[in-house]
Amino acid sequence: MSELPKEALDLDQKIIDFIRKGTNRKDNEGFNSLALEVFGLQFKSIPLYRRYCEKRGIKPEKISSWEEIPALPTDVFKVTELSMFPSLTMRTFMTSGTTMPEERGKVGYDEGGLRLMDATIEEAASSFLFPDGMKTKILIIAPSPEMAPHMIMAYGMNRLKDYFGLPQSRFLVGREGFEVETLLKELRSSEEEDIPVTLCGGSFGFVNFFDYCREKELRFKLPPGSRTLDAGGFKGRSREVKREEFVRECGEALGIKTNYSVNLLGMTEISSQFYDSTLRNFHKGLHAEVAKLNPPWTKTVVVDPESLKPLPDGETGLLKHYDLANRGHILAIQTDDLGRMNPEGFEVFGRSKEAEAKGCSLTIDEMTRIEKGR
Amino acid sequence: MENFELEAFYVPPGLKDRVKLARTLVYEDGSARILLKIPSIDRTFIQSLIHHLREKRGSYLADLPIETIVQVLDEASRRWLDKNYPLRKLALKTIPLITGFSPEVVEASIDAEMKSSLREDMWRALSLEIGNPLYLNDFQYSPQLGGYSRAFGPELIVSIFSENIPALPHLLFMRSALVKSACLGKVARGEPTFAPLYLKTVEEIDPEMAECMAVLYWQGGEEEIEPFLFGQADAVVLFGGVETCRSLLEKIPRRVKTLVHGHRLGFGVIGRQRMKRQELERLAEEVALDCSMFDQQACLAPHVYYLEEGGEVSPKEFCQAVAVAMERLNQRMPRGRITPHEASTIHQLRAAYEFRELNGEEVLVLTSPSGTDWTVVYEKDPGAFSPSPLNRFIRIYGVEDIFRILSSLKPIGPFLQNAAVAIGDKREKEFIGMLGELGVARITSPGKMSIPSMMWHHDGISPLASLLRWCDVEKKDEF
Repeated sequence: MSELPKEALDLDQKIIDFIRKGTNRKDNEGFNSLALEVFGLQFKSIPLYRRYCEKRGIKPEKISSWEEIPALPTDVFKVTELSMFPSLTMRTFMTSGTTMPEERGKVGYDEGGLRLMDATIEEAASSFLFPDGMKTKILIIAPSPEMAPHMIMAYGMNRLKDYFGLPQSRFLVGREGFEVETLLKELRSSEEEDIPVTLCGGSFGFVNFFDYCREKELRFKLPPGSRTLDAGGFKGRSREVKREEFVRECGEALGIKTNYSVNLLGMTEISSQFYDSTLRNFHKGLHAEVAKLNPPWTKTVVVDPESLKPLPDGETGLLKHYDLANRGHILAIQTDDLGRMNPEGFEVFGRSKEAEAKGCSLTIDEMTRIEKGR
Repeated sequence: MENFELEAFYVPPGLKDRVKLARTLVYEDGSARILLKIPSIDRTFIQSLIHHLREKRGSYLADLPIETIVQVLDEASRRWLDKNYPLRKLALKTIPLITGFSPEVVEASIDAEMKSSLREDMWRALSLEIGNPLYLNDFQYSPQLGGYSRAFGPELIVSIFSENIPALPHLLFMRSALVKSACLGKVARGEPTFAPLYLKTVEEIDPEMAECMAVLYWQGGEEEIEPFLFGQADAVVLFGGVETCRSLLEKIPRRVKTLVHGHRLGFGVIGRQRMKRQELERLAEEVALDCSMFDQQACLAPHVYYLEEGGEVSPKEFCQAVAVAMERLNQRMPRGRITPHEASTIHQLRAAYEFRELNGEEVLVLTSPSGTDWTVVYEKDPGAFSPSPLNRFIRIYGVEDIFRILSSLKPIGPFLQNAAVAIGDKREKEFIGMLGELGVARITSPGKMSIPSMMWHHDGISPLASLLRWCDVEKKDEF
């Protein structure tokens, strides 16, 4: 197999060094210079992106700040390949698809890109999910990477298991679906043997499990240090649950302490993950507003939905993320998530909500639902 | 700052003092503030309202000659067409702030609706649907029957409007009056003000007719009110999305006659004979108008325009001309404000098309100079119909032969509302026949998509005749 070009390998090394310095610091200059380097290489190596930038009059030599790097809307990954070295792709991750279910976004990761992602997973989790350095039994309500090779969450949680899990850690969605009996057994044995658990998976999986527990009148009191990590929202696959209620249900069903339920924003198009600050703040004794935190190798900007220009802090708009670990595809990603900045980081309110139909015309969302229901 | 007080309801003059207010909604921008009063609705109030409507219908409207009814409604339309009419001025100042549509769009919408609601239009609609309008007044001799027939409307029509197109709900009040029915309408949260203002106009002209009409507002899906109300109705007319209508239908007793106007969509087709340089600018302007009226929110609006290849002007060149016309129109009649979700969808879709273009596909993306005001995208017919995200976003598909589009329209047949067709050769008749077969309810020319005549078969049904029941007397000699 051919190798990544040296300039990519060298750049990856610099980014990894930057990531490995940890999350507990600010380094805007370092971020800026690496972001511009990544942009330079992407501009050079991804012809479509280059043309896109040129149409907007942007060239690497013309800009001096990461904020000027053109972002690509996520839907672009549904129509075209945007990897830096498509022939070196090791793994392709796909989105679950929202408005156009038949066209899922695809992002190819080369070997270096996977190494970058691995580094972000390890650094971010050690700061935000395991700030206490505790080893736990990681139980994952998601399919394993073997079962779901294109699901970035499966990949990421597998890494968590490898880096931070006790040997009994495991995935709990198999060919037959969610292995609830196994989960119950694992939770009981953790209670009995006093082994703390990290239960992680899709947010809707948790809610469905809570409902199951309520129906069967099951309750657990997991050992101190047990925690949950959920990601991905509900997507119509469970009840919609507000955050406070979710945390309360983690406490009621599992005995998880309030500050030990952590939520994560992850996206197929973005290599890094954005954890909320709950557990980190608690561990450090900080009394700050809960927010999604940007590790130093990422930036998030809120933009006006109409003009896509940055909004003043505190105003609600669409989230745009910059991620150095995206070296292998596109650094800057324009999402359709609504959110806003706060003093600690940013808040995400989820995918910009479908408005009630204004007129009597059939809408895309309506059509999609009708087609699904056929 | 100008202040306005409006009501999201209309109850007959005789019941005014019975209305209790639940709350007041405030709409505000830099120059105006609207206080919108929301009524408090309960069973007792609805019961007395319905009783009142039925009674007044029986004592007045039921015996009112159709000629007089047409006269009153014609006068109402004429007042609304008068640029100095105070209620029209009020509507133009307030509806844009509440709905987000630009004042120019609201004005165009009122003009379009009212111009097709004049005396002649009503007579033609009645004649088209029931033959002789006098069947509504009394038994008329019918030679076909060899006896006498008379048409009766329902006593009480209940209607739910769930859309924001200004000036649209008045249609239902007109139709109800024409079939001599009392009408109680529920307005949409997004545009609750036009219908109450329209009924004030009716009250100005004929207060007794207004005693048979009411507009209310409540939160959609209200568990208690809706089934109760439907249970009291003789006919129900629903306007809304597929899912909304389905859930409402479950609450309507089987004995109640029900008409459903669900969400639908439009498209346009231009044949190669019409792709001429000489006609280009005018035709492009007509296409742009179709895509811009009501900001494309109406079921009459096109999602896709099909252009046939092989004419003097190529589809791509045609798109350029449409883009110029879209921009010109946006200057004259600006697009309204849209939600973050709508804006985001437009940006995402534009970018997806742009990358296909950059990737060498035969795709063209033309956009407003800033923001998301309008978008024209071109591609070869992908063989499947994709809805537009609306708000002045038109997909233009190039086709080798217009007859090839029929297979992509077939799966969405039940949703096809309106088609602009300009073929310009002898294929047109055959083509139109096939569109009719597929489910299209109305076929017109480019530029005319948003202005159906009063007598069109709205959603492919006869909106007046469907409300009627007939009584035939087959005893010629003695009657």
